[in-house]
Formats: sequence, structure tokens, C-alpha cells
Amino acid sequence: MNNGNGNKIANKFVVPIGPQHPALKEPEHFEFTVDGETVIDATARLGYAHRGIEKTAESRTFVQTLYMMERVCGICSHVHATAFSLCVEKLAEVEAPPRAQAIRVLVAELERIHSHLLWLGVGAHEAGFDALFMYSWRDREVVMDILEALTGNRVNYSANVLGGVKCDVTDAIRDQILTGIDYLEERTHHYYDVVTTDAAFLQRTRGVGTMTKEQAMRLGVVGPTARGSGVEQDLRVDAPYAAYDIFRVNRVVEQGGDLEARFIVRVKELFESYRIIREVLDNLPEGELTARMPRRIKEGEAITRVEAPRGELFYYVRSNGTDMPDRVKVRTPTIPNMASVLHLAIGHQLADVPMILAGIDPCFSCNDRSVRLKSAGGDDVWTWEKLRKYGIDYYND
Amino acid sequence: MSLEQRITEARARLEPLVESIEQPAPDRIDATIPADKLLDVASALIKDGWSYLTTITGLDLGVEAGEMAFLYHFSAGALLVTLRVHVPRSEPIIPSVCGIIPTATLYERELMEMFGVTITGTPNTERLFLPEDWPAGVYPLRKDFDPSQPEIVVQKDAAE
Amino acid sequence: MAETQNNNLLEEIIDGITSWSRINSPWVIHFNSGSCNGCDIEILATLTPRYDVERFGIKLEGSPRHADVLVCTGPVTRQQRERLQRIYEQMPEPRFVVAVGTCAISGGVFHDSYAVCNGIDSVIPVDVYVPGCPPRPEAIIDGIVKLLTSLKQAKEEQVA
Repeated sequence: MNNGNGNKIANKFVVPIGPQHPALKEPEHFEFTVDGETVIDATARLGYAHRGIEKTAESRTFVQTLYMMERVCGICSHVHATAFSLCVEKLAEVEAPPRAQAIRVLVAELERIHSHLLWLGVGAHEAGFDALFMYSWRDREVVMDILEALTGNRVNYSANVLGGVKCDVTDAIRDQILTGIDYLEERTHHYYDVVTTDAAFLQRTRGVGTMTKEQAMRLGVVGPTARGSGVEQDLRVDAPYAAYDIFRVNRVVEQGGDLEARFIVRVKELFESYRIIREVLDNLPEGELTARMPRRIKEGEAITRVEAPRGELFYYVRSNGTDMPDRVKVRTPTIPNMASVLHLAIGHQLADVPMILAGIDPCFSCNDRSVRLKSAGGDDVWTWEKLRKYGIDYYND
Repeated sequence: MSLEQRITEARARLEPLVESIEQPAPDRIDATIPADKLLDVASALIKDGWSYLTTITGLDLGVEAGEMAFLYHFSAGALLVTLRVHVPRSEPIIPSVCGIIPTATLYERELMEMFGVTITGTPNTERLFLPEDWPAGVYPLRKDFDPSQPEIVVQKDAAE
Repeated sequence: MAETQNNNLLEEIIDGITSWSRINSPWVIHFNSGSCNGCDIEILATLTPRYDVERFGIKLEGSPRHADVLVCTGPVTRQQRERLQRIYEQMPEPRFVVAVGTCAISGGVFHDSYAVCNGIDSVIPVDVYVPGCPPRPEAIIDGIVKLLTSLKQAKEEQVA
């Protein structure tokens, strides 16, 4: 093994997950009922990360709530903060200035890049391709550096404030972004080749977890998962927010409906993000970064939907005239996707389940999930790692 | 479809079935309906895949108001159509939409455990987010939820 | 550029640990007690080429029965509390705990929620706290190195 310059190929790699003691009596995250190899029923419990956020927001100020909503998810922190800010701005009838909205788009696309590269690596790992995991995460560091230079943090960038943003694009940062994007674009061509032509990779993805367009629409799937089934849906296009009405996005849609299609959508979206970022930097509006926001927010309701890397993120905020929200409701894209995937797993082989689930890009900490398998032979509890290896071995035999 | 076209279509689908329609924002249409109309109106909105159920927001309007409201949000491109169902707080009951929207089960499970609403005909009444040992009858998103009650106070410090 | 600065930082840390050759490579397990994943992705990043923590002999292990060090993220949600306790109990002595991230230290932005404890040390004893939201990979590695350094000192005192 050589030094950490990206030339190393890992021989053996364990994604850090917690083990599951079979004797522990506790609710499993996923429960699959199997008949032989075939899944005949599927459900989930999601309490492991329940932090009581919606309730807690009711005893925080709007400003404090912003900081909390950033931390609903560390992978797509910015879109959460953006959606919440836009809701509060709607309630207060304040518009963030154009330069701020453009920077919101810039950070959102940088976040999309980091998230898609992260997923590419994790998805590759799920299928047993650890080299691809290492390469994509090494390349991802370029985006992490850019985000840190622009916002001060690698994760949880806190670019938003109520009324605008608090970071600005200097010439040096602009140059760093453009250089980084150029490098990543070149690398992304390689990733595109892998997901479309590598035989071993295609064996795990082509024809797996297929969802027709009709199914996808009926099940209410969102994001790249929906777009991989031909559903022409992208909130940046359908309902532009922040500065997406000025910096127009092209929807990336594939017709295959299988896991391969979902990989392709995400890789192609990387190219689209690079293009949008260059356009924003070329046409960044002059002006202020923030608009004045009142401390007490007018009574009312506001709803904002944004296109997170995983799909539609929904925010509902209700105010009662004080400086604390009356109600904050958040619906992340993983929820409808998970619901649909559970529905879809039925009829599939158990060995396909890890990849089907990885295909919707669930939150990373889902790797710490455990799986209950019910069959004619009885109940069994597996670690996610066991299920993942099962899938890999199944296709290697 | 443009936003204007979406709004026209929404009104066309809703008008035969509902009493009144509001437009609280340029991209939002609201209709308040009784619980027993929910399935009919929801069906009209999702017919031909024109919209899909994005989520269901529960609201406890308070002990004084004596009501809870459940907001069913349907996404149709740029337009969001919300069906608002009010129920008495003393006996909150709504019908399940899982018969026509099977994936709504996750939303309905969340509403039941957070608000204590009864959802008739829902296929799965297991908790979604709350732990198994959470006491029955305690609903965190209700306005009168008391986090200091002993049964639910989580041990914040390591046992001696 | 940031990458150069980060390399210098890493070099300093490496210098600090090249002397603990007498300690067996620590086997580390990771546990997420309900975090937003921010800390977890930075922990995972330590395994990737830029940080490459495995070259220090730190091995990521799957079972608590073989682990020396438990690296924990998250504020400890109610659902994870018991599981965290049991994982700790399964680790053979001597065992050590590293709490990564502000949530793991105090519950972070969620600290007064009904659904969380106040961080890892409200459930099990913690040896090293790595603050940050999230802490960067260098800081995480530094925290583990500080633990190992104090382990080395303890071992030397034993032998002496």
C-alpha cells in the first residue's frame, strides 16, 4: 500500500457500522419477510435518528431554529437551511438580495456535487467496488476544500442567514472553484465510463430494482430515483426558487428505470452542476448579501419545496407573530423514496435489496441499520454488512 | 404546464367536490374539506398522475381551539394543492388514504404517534420514529405535551 | 492552497505518533447514536486516501468483542441509548471511548429535546472529546492519537 496520494487500492475495507447482537430485542430498521430467496413483504422503522427536531423548533427562536435545521442532515445541510430561510422570508415578506440568492445556488450545486460523489463511493462500496469508493472520495476532497474556502467549514457550511447569506465570493475563491470544477469534470468522464461500461458494475445495476415511469409516479418517488425512471421532475426547473429562475437547470432524465439509470442520472447531474456553477460565477450579481429581517415574524403559513441532492425536500413553517415558530414540518426526500422502495422490494431477490436501497441514496448513517428477515424457517436478524456481503457473494458465485 | 394552467386544472378538479377554494400564495391552492370527503377529493387530484401526495402536515391548533388540522399536500409541478381537514381534538379521527396511495403509510404512522389521531383503515399502526418503550397516550407534537413528565424524561446522565 | 496546509497539519500529527511502535494497532469500532451524519462522513473520510488513517495501524473493526476503541457520534437518541450501552459492555477491557462532535459531547443543538440524552457521557464513560460540528478529519485523528499517546504512557508506567 502506498502513501495517501490516491494511488492506493484498498484490498479490504469495512464501512464503519455498528454490529447487531442477535439477542438484543429491539426494533429493527428494516424488516423483510422472505419466501426462499424472494422478498414477500417489507417495512421499516426509523427511530434511530429521531431527535425531536420539529417539537424542539417550537421552543427556539427562528434564528436558533435555522442552526438546528442545518443539522437535520449533515450531507445536505445547505438545502435545509435554504428552504427554512425561504419560508421565513416569505412569512416576513422580505426578499433576499440577488447576490445572496445566486450564492445560495452556488453553494447548493457545490453541495450536490459532494453529495453525489459521496453516494457514488458508498454505492460502489455496497456493490463491492472499493477502488471506486476510494477514488470518488479522494476527488470529493476538491469540493470539500472549495466549500471550506467559501464558507469556512467542510460540512454544515452555514452559508444562509435569514434574509440572505453570510459568505461572499472573492476573486481567489472564484479561481479555486473554477480550477476545482475543471479537474472534477475530467474525473467525472471516467466515472461515467465506469457506470456505463464496466461489466462487473453493470451486473449489479443493469435490470436491478427496475421501476417503470408509471410505477415511479404512482409511488411518489422523487429526485434522481424518479428521473432514472423517466419522470420529468426537478424542482429547480418546475418551481424555481432562490436564483434558479435566472440560472436555468436542464433536467437530467433517463428511461432505463433500473439501478444503472439512477447511477447515470447522478453522474450526468454532476456535469450539469459544473455548468451551472460556471454560469453563476460568470454572472454573479453585484450588491448586498442580506436584507433586514424583523425579529418577530408575521402570523401566517409558508411552504417551500427545494431540490435536495436526493430529491424533493418539503418545509412548512407556521408563525404566530412571535419570534418563535409555531410549527415546523420537514419532509425529507428519503421518506417517499424509502416508502416506494419497500413497496418495490417485494418480488425481488434478497440479494438485490442492498443495491436497491443504495440506489435511492438513503442517509449514510443508514449503514448502521439492522435487518430482520422473516421466513418459513423463522426470524433472523442480520447486520447490514451481512446482507451486503450476501448480495456480493450471490453474484460472484 | 405553466403555473396558470396548473391552477386552472386544480380548480376544475376541485370545484365540483369542495365548498370553497383559497389561494394563499401564488403557487398554493387550499381547500378545506370534511374528513368524509378526503378520499374522493384526493382521488380527483391524483387521477391520471396529475399530482402526487408530497406529505401530510399535522397541526394541533391548541387546547382552547379544541381542534386539530391535517394538511394533505399534493404536488403538481410548480403548484401545491393542500386539502385541509379539521377534526375535534377530543376525538380526532380521519380515514386512511393508503387504499389509493399505498406509500402514505409512513406519513400516517408519523401522524398517529405524534398527534394521537386515529386513522381508520391504515394498514400499519406500528410506531415510525418513537421508540418501542415510549408510553402510550403521550403525543409529542400536541401543544399540551409535557416533556417533564416522569415516564418520558430520558435519563440525561449516566447512572451512578 | 488548503491541501498543502492540511498536509502540514498531518505531518505534525504523524511526527507525534511515530514513537508508539510498542502499542498494538488499535482496533476501532464506530457507532452512530443518532447523528446527522456530518461527523460520520468525516470519520469515513479519515479512511480515504487524503487522510488514510489505516497507515497508522488504526483498523476499523466490525465487532465490539475485538475492539479497543469505540468512536461515537450523535447525541444519543432514546432508541440508541440501550444499544450504545450494550455495545460498550461487549467490549473487553481495557476499552476506551472517543466522543466525536458537539452532539456527542453535549447533545449539541438538540440538547433539550425530549428525544435525546445529553451526549455520549450521559450513557457511558468517555475518554476523549473531539469538539466540532463536525470536527475535521485531522481533528478526529488527533483525538485518537491523543488517546493512544496517553495509552502508551500508561503502558510504560505499567512496565516500569
